[in-house]
Amino acid sequence: MFGPLETGAGYWTPLVWVGSMVVVVLVTLVIRGLGERTAKNTHMKGDPFMSGNPEVSKENSHVRAGNIYWGFLKAMEPYYKPLMKWHNGNVNDYVLMFIMVIAVLLLAIVLPGVF
Amino acid sequence: MSSVELLFRIVIGTLIAAVGGIVIGLAAKGVDRKLHARMQGRVGPPLRQPFYDVLKLFAKDNTVPDNAVGWMFNAAPVICLAGAITLLLYIPFGSILPVLGGHGDLILLLYLLIIPGLAMVVGGFSSGSPYATVGAQREMVTMIGYELPLATAVIAIAAKMNELFPAEPAFALSTIAAHPLWGEMGLLGIIGFAILAMIMVIVTPAELSKIPFDTPEAETELAGGLMVEYSGRNLGLFYLADGVKTVVMGAIIVALFIPHNLSPVFTGIAQGSIGAYMVDFGFFLVKLAAVVFFAVTVLRTAVARLKIAQVVTLYWIPLTMIALLGLILMMWDSVPMLHIAPWLGGA
Repeated sequence: MFGPLETGAGYWTPLVWVGSMVVVVLVTLVIRGLGERTAKNTHMKGDPFMSGNPEVSKENSHVRAGNIYWGFLKAMEPYYKPLMKWHNGNVNDYVLMFIMVIAVLLLAIVLPGVF
Repeated sequence: MSSVELLFRIVIGTLIAAVGGIVIGLAAKGVDRKLHARMQGRVGPPLRQPFYDVLKLFAKDNTVPDNAVGWMFNAAPVICLAGAITLLLYIPFGSILPVLGGHGDLILLLYLLIIPGLAMVVGGFSSGSPYATVGAQREMVTMIGYELPLATAVIAIAAKMNELFPAEPAFALSTIAAHPLWGEMGLLGIIGFAILAMIMVIVTPAELSKIPFDTPEAETELAGGLMVEYSGRNLGLFYLADGVKTVVMGAIIVALFIPHNLSPVFTGIAQGSIGAYMVDFGFFLVKLAAVVFFAVTVLRTAVARLKIAQVVTLYWIPLTMIALLGLILMMWDSVPMLHIAPWLGGA
């Protein structure tokens, strides 16, 4: 029941991990409970900390889903820019790209067998 | 091993790992802050300061912002610390074998390393603060950034272990710790292995959100980012998790690159005795301190914070290329034609 799942090069036992995680969470909750008893767990009414600036509307102050990976997209701009240009909505172009990729893959698989 | 025996092992191991990891982690933070200050020409706080910080945080009120998703906001620090402590159960410390060594390998460690970071992201997004959501977004992007060179380094080591010791599981930390690769390879392999060690040292500060990769927190621009709305014991738990993660990252680097023990040098100490374990554990702490010094203290003293796009570029392009070079050198080491020793007049 507690035997590891073997992959040949590695292994892990999911049930043991889940069991250990439960025990560790309980220990962590005990650590959390070690704090000062008089300290309160309060629910603050008011705006979030904005360095003294007035809070703009919630819709405009949070990271939008489209910007979640902003740093990554910005860093990879030289890669994404031409890719976005190619994705122009024309199905003929997508089919052409598909044929080109298949051709490259075939060459990569067939050529080593020939030589 | 029976189920009851395993459960007993997990409970005792967890208690020891939690106390040990927290104490060593806070001590490491104290040493780091002291050395960082001395390198900047300051006196710095006392070594006990991180312990005082935790005591102070645990005595303060725990405030939950009005905008926050309460249960998620409170659960994130618990999961973060728990995830970090769980990692300790899979890592060897000197000659002390991991509590769950037979139940998880290096691939599992790579996945478990994501849990504390992900808990911080969840905490940031659930804070309801624009600063925290920007910090959480940056933490995710940083995680995407350093995973590639980290995985390249781990795979290179496992591939070499598989080539040299095909009968043993290549991704097992016990296999890697039992056969230090430095003595098993030629010059090319050693250069490649040293490159991978350097990569791991540069991945460590990103994993720990330390300068130059502390963009998710960035006190001067995001006022603490992910942590901006956290206070009291919740912030204390994140602080403890940071200490434990420092031990985890240091211990992984020690296990992969410098797993050597000191007890075999002393002929008067019987192998497997308490004395041998203590000597090896003491030596492990010295190696851990050295790794933390170079990976955290020196880097954060010498380099300024990078922008988030620079972090990704650095990890995905130059560092991944360098890691791949390390991998290629280690693979070339097994090609007889490329052996350098005979060309130099050696064997």
